[in-house]
Amino acid sequence: MSETISEPEKNLVPMGPTRAVTRRMFVAAIALGLALLVSFLFTRYFAYRNVQQNFYGQALVPAKQAFDFRLVDQDGKAFHLSQMRGKAVLFSFGFTHCPNVCPTTLSDLAKVYQALPAKDREKVQILFVSIDPQRDKPETMKNYVPYFNESFIGLTGTEAELAEAAKAYGAYYEILHDQGANPEVYTVNHSALTYLITPDGKWKLLYNFDQLSDSKKMVQDIEQVLGGA
Amino acid sequence: MFTRLTLFFFCCVSGVALADGVPIKVENAWLQAVPPVAEVTAAYMKIRNLGQSALQLIGASSPIAAKIVPMITTRHERNGQEVMGMESVENLEIPPGGTLELKPGGNHLMIMGLISHPKEGELVKVTVRFAPGDQQLDVQVPVFKQEPK
Repeated sequence: MSETISEPEKNLVPMGPTRAVTRRMFVAAIALGLALLVSFLFTRYFAYRNVQQNFYGQALVPAKQAFDFRLVDQDGKAFHLSQMRGKAVLFSFGFTHCPNVCPTTLSDLAKVYQALPAKDREKVQILFVSIDPQRDKPETMKNYVPYFNESFIGLTGTEAELAEAAKAYGAYYEILHDQGANPEVYTVNHSALTYLITPDGKWKLLYNFDQLSDSKKMVQDIEQVLGGA
Repeated sequence: MFTRLTLFFFCCVSGVALADGVPIKVENAWLQAVPPVAEVTAAYMKIRNLGQSALQLIGASSPIAAKIVPMITTRHERNGQEVMGMESVENLEIPPGGTLELKPGGNHLMIMGLISHPKEGELVKVTVRFAPGDQQLDVQVPVFKQEPK
């Protein structure tokens, strides 16, 4: 039996030096191909998993390094966003002379904060950044922002610092004073988004104004971010 | 020569005000509580026009503020982000049988020049004015820190 098989094999595969090199190259090509395929699948898998995390907020894929704004807190002390490493940060831009969107944003965020399990509250920091530094001094922020929740921190800065911070997050604002007869008639336009920064300093999620009122879904996102997902 | 409709209202826990003899019903009224440093806030409510002809909400007044004006909220995209704007308007129309909803992030009554800062749980008298004519409705508006659901 073994004779009859080994004979034709020998004939079919004459192991010349050229043939052996070709075979090695073939094996190498297969290995390389497999490696590429595996890495491609891994990349796809992680991209897929990212999407599959099913965040309520709009996810930035991949998450961006959060711009480390350097502002002044409500006690007049220097405040860098990077000080908050280790905590999930939610912040939005606004101003205290804002009757509708800003108090609603802050009271919605207060509701979200209260809905968090007590053990996680210390891992979350909510910030409110003024884009109206002429009227919003640190003491204004101190008297306004913690009113909604005592853990909240209000930030302000110079016009240039705030413009830089707003630009880094794609936020837009303009305060239009009416030149007409009635100085009280005016228009304020501003993007009303809330940004979520992960404990390792990545800008991962974005919420529009209407999303903030669903505390349950907001809490789920925050828990997911705190869970290291 | 100037006939002013005297309107009656009643207000219960849910914030319902119904004008007696005038086809307006106000529901779910509330006012955003703000800290003393704030100069502005907003009032929200649902105003139902139970009558046969259109009405316009033209303004309001209250002992707590210098001025109350109807406002609309505009929304548009800019750099891929939603930008919300606020504009004062002459009036807000309420079609016959229709409802005008004043709500956070939408149309609202902007309360400017706060004289006092009512706290959560207090009631604030807001006199809402409608056209045609100068029809007035007093609404006792409860104050909340967070939107009552």
